[in-house]
Amino acid sequence: MAEVIIKNVKKIYSGNVTAVHDFNLHIKDKEFIVFVGPSGCGKSTTLRMVAGLEDISEGTVSIDGEVVNDMQPKDRHISMVFQNYALYPHLTVYENMAFPLRLDKKQRVEPLSPTEVERAQKELEAARAAGNAAKVAKLEDELQNGRQQKGYTNDQIYDRVTSAAQVLGITQYLTRKPKALSGGQRQRVAIGRAMVKDCKVFLMDEPLSNLDAKLRNQMRAEIILLRKRINTTFIYVTHDQTEAMTLGDRIVCMKDGFIMQVGTPAELFDMPANLFVAQFVGAPMMNTVNCDLSREGDKYFVNPYGYKLPVDGEKGKALLERGVQSRPIILGMRPEHIQLARGKEGIPVTIQVNEMMGSEYHLHVTTEQGNKLIVRIPTISLTDEERNSMVNGTQINITFSGKAMHFFDPESEKNLLVDITNADAYELDADIIKHEQQEELPKAEKEE
Amino acid sequence: MAERKHMSMSTKRRIGNVASYVTLALISIIWILPFVFLLLRSFDVGNTGPSSAIFPEKFGFGNYIYLFTAGADFLKWYFNTFIIALVVCVVQTAMQFSMSYVLSRYRFKLRKFMMNFMLVLGMFPGFLTMIVLYQVLKTIGLTGANAVPGLILVYVASSGMGYYVSKGFLDTLPKSLDEAALVDGATRAQIFVRVILPLCKPILIYTVLTSFMGPWGDYVFAYTVSLGNEAGMNVAAGLNSWLAPNMINDHFAPFCAGGVVVAIPVMVLFLFLQKYYVEGVTGGAVKG
Ligand SMILES: Nc1ncnc2c1ncn2[C@@H]1O[C@H](COP(=O)(O)OP(=O)(O)O)[C@@H](O)[C@H]1O
Ligand SMILES: [Mg+2]
Repeated sequence: MAEVIIKNVKKIYSGNVTAVHDFNLHIKDKEFIVFVGPSGCGKSTTLRMVAGLEDISEGTVSIDGEVVNDMQPKDRHISMVFQNYALYPHLTVYENMAFPLRLDKKQRVEPLSPTEVERAQKELEAARAAGNAAKVAKLEDELQNGRQQKGYTNDQIYDRVTSAAQVLGITQYLTRKPKALSGGQRQRVAIGRAMVKDCKVFLMDEPLSNLDAKLRNQMRAEIILLRKRINTTFIYVTHDQTEAMTLGDRIVCMKDGFIMQVGTPAELFDMPANLFVAQFVGAPMMNTVNCDLSREGDKYFVNPYGYKLPVDGEKGKALLERGVQSRPIILGMRPEHIQLARGKEGIPVTIQVNEMMGSEYHLHVTTEQGNKLIVRIPTISLTDEERNSMVNGTQINITFSGKAMHFFDPESEKNLLVDITNADAYELDADIIKHEQQEELPKAEKEE
Repeated sequence: MAERKHMSMSTKRRIGNVASYVTLALISIIWILPFVFLLLRSFDVGNTGPSSAIFPEKFGFGNYIYLFTAGADFLKWYFNTFIIALVVCVVQTAMQFSMSYVLSRYRFKLRKFMMNFMLVLGMFPGFLTMIVLYQVLKTIGLTGANAVPGLILVYVASSGMGYYVSKGFLDTLPKSLDEAALVDGATRAQIFVRVILPLCKPILIYTVLTSFMGPWGDYVFAYTVSLGNEAGMNVAAGLNSWLAPNMINDHFAPFCAGGVVVAIPVMVLFLFLQKYYVEGVTGGAVKG
């Protein structure tokens, strides 16, 4: 349960590979943050710097208000789930999960675990019956305020491991070695091992990518439930945009070590800051075409594939507010925002590949000039006759809905209607200023 | 057509099989004969001198009894060898594993250079350094009767250099195990003892065996360092002294008996650890 602030963090690997450039992020308490991006974009590197498994070349990472740059992983109060599970092969599932608890030898005040409470209550009754006032007082105190102890007792370990095992449905495997488990069961054990100890930040590096598609969907749903149970700050790394969209409160979309955009799933989908995010988020990929945006009075038009289409709705208003003039653009259209034009009007295209996905058709089509694009059509919107005619080589007419268009600058590839890619960078600057002011105050007092 | 071709194929194969079996049988006989000879001669109480007869003139345990009587130095040699092998085995295994773990998991300056350097050094036959080592040991008084600590020093000093087999094994253990343990709160030492070592059981046993057998069967160094002083000899050097011209005539059969007795602990060790030993040699390829 803690904020994580990543400020101007940079990672330079030996051999001068800069894996992460100037990373700024303010992760709020109990937030579920997803790092997403293609393989090699620096997601794992960033996560591992938070975990303390990788040195931070520049900048600071702080957890719960404390800079952790020079702290060992074990002192950072983190839990981590690895992509390849990293279970200890020589230990049983139970011992795997108990491992972090057995290692923790810190002095602490720990509330009694359910087994201990039960026993203490019995003892308390007996002590009361026997009139042992000292023992009654001690037991009552322990029951109410917890016990001063070093590490965890075996009962506490047992209670924690079995309750985590129950949540994850792996109770019947507790005596097995990891070798005797399937991939999905191993991943549950790995999550269980990370769950048993109290942590401030829960880190996961592609925990589902070694599982088959069906299991992945199932586990994804379970992680959502788990998150509610654990109720702590999560950082989750994945290359899969579906996982990112479904799990994240906010998503950090990365490319080549740079943050491309930080935002909620809806923000990334509706208002992609640049072409990269636009094409990374959503499947199939957003269609793009170079064309011209033209302004006629207060109205805007685009001319993709040589057809003039009006820009209407919010998008038109937003362009007008910003006073955008006629200019070349890259036009983006999501496949689901393209419709069949049942009349004569619309852009004629030819079906090249027809993917029947069940609930919808993915049509790969080409325009008369040879531009390729993908169209997504809900099966339910088609008549039987239309469905039968959706074969390769068929010509159909399509239209774009003007309110779902995206406009990108052809050079910078930035969205004309989105200004900020990482609000955190600004917020953090403000933090720094606040911080510096605070630091100056005590100094002045000392001088007096 | 096809039928005849098939037949000629199978005939060819049969001839090939016969030829390879004959060859293998011959090799086996050549290989196993000395052991059989040694074993049989060790029971000959009729003719205790050198002989090329395989079967003893008279069966008896006299040679074995001779080994363990006070008159013969054999017990002393045996004890010397055992002490040397035991100490070396423990120290060498510990050093080799620490070395391998560090080379496998830590990254530091000159790591590559050190690994290559040791590999190249290891390619020179050990006895090239014998004269120098002898002089050094002589200077500090660890030769002759004091050869046992001297020999231990010689064997142990280079033990880190045998890192490559166990490092190869450690390299196959995923690094994320170490990282998971780090996050779980383990120190480096705890990771080594509680996570890495238990996974290294097969290769650990292989290391124990090889570091025990090195000094156990060594002749060249033991002979040089003890230099004719019977109090400092190990079994190999000691038994060899029985083959000197003035001894061999009544010591050849006891020599054979000594050979058999020397083989016993190693055999027991092997039989006991066989399961792990085989795993250890092949185990590196299979992820733990
Ligand atoms: N130990 C390393 N040494 C040098 N370069 C590395 C190392 N680890 C990762 N990299 C490089 O850093 C970049 C980011 O890697 P990583 O964070 O693993 O990407 P991701 O997890 O997003 O797939 C990649 O280009 C990768 O090649
Ligand atoms: Mg990665």
